[in-house]
Amino acid sequence: MINLFGYRVSWAQLAWFGHRASGLGVLFYLFLHIVETSTVLFGPDVYDAAVGIFKNLPARLGEVLLMAALVYHALNGMRVIAMDFWPGLTRWYRPLTYGVVAATIIAMIPLGLIMVRPFMPWA
Amino acid sequence: MTTVARPPRTIYTNPSRAARPRPEASGRERFWWYFMRLSGLALVILALGHMFVMHILVEITGGEIDFAFVQSRWGTPFWRIYDLVLLLLAFIHGVNGARVVIGDYVTNRTGRSLIIGIFLAIAAIWLVLGMAVIAFFDPNTAPPTGPFS
Repeated sequence: MINLFGYRVSWAQLAWFGHRASGLGVLFYLFLHIVETSTVLFGPDVYDAAVGIFKNLPARLGEVLLMAALVYHALNGMRVIAMDFWPGLTRWYRPLTYGVVAATIIAMIPLGLIMVRPFMPWA
Repeated sequence: MTTVARPPRTIYTNPSRAARPRPEASGRERFWWYFMRLSGLALVILALGHMFVMHILVEITGGEIDFAFVQSRWGTPFWRIYDLVLLLLAFIHGVNGARVVIGDYVTNRTGRSLIIGIFLAIAAIWLVLGMAVIAFFDPNTAPPTGPFS
């Protein structure tokens, strides 16, 4: 149990909410991504202009967020699947949930650094 | 006027404390329960692989995503089939997830059917557009300049 703005929220609830939020976020990006990629049918000028919209720091930070959402959704999804098919694992739901959050954060350190590198002063 | 008794709302006890419990009755909802899990496992490889290639490998090798990149990539059947499978699985997985979320929050029956119906119709058109782009892109006959140039 953790205290969030006066509400007592369990990690299970947060993990569930995070799974929904990250899934909906990735789906929204997928809709956008289809439109963006469809400009490839109009030739190099239009396509390069379309992907050019995403070649700046704010858009890149959005892509880092997308990567984090995907990594979390993948790891938490595998936890859900594992617990669905091996109910015995539910005994370990708390350490598994902590593990998913920790693994997401640890994975995002190198991934995020590689992704924002071209926009950093030391690049 | 006859009133039709609605079945009592099922109270699930979810042993996994993780997500939706497996629907007891076989049928459409149980199919989707399995689909979400199986496509999810495939997407762990496909979607994370896609992100790794496009955002990490391209970055490390100093490449850039532009028209020439797409031309060389979709010139090979492997990446075209990979992208088509990824699009289909990710899109259906995501749209079904959103359908479940809408169903959880819109409690009015008519409103729920209407909103989900409109959402599915838009999503179907969108998916056809995405598949058409992967299927019809021709690296050889792609116009050298666009209509806006």
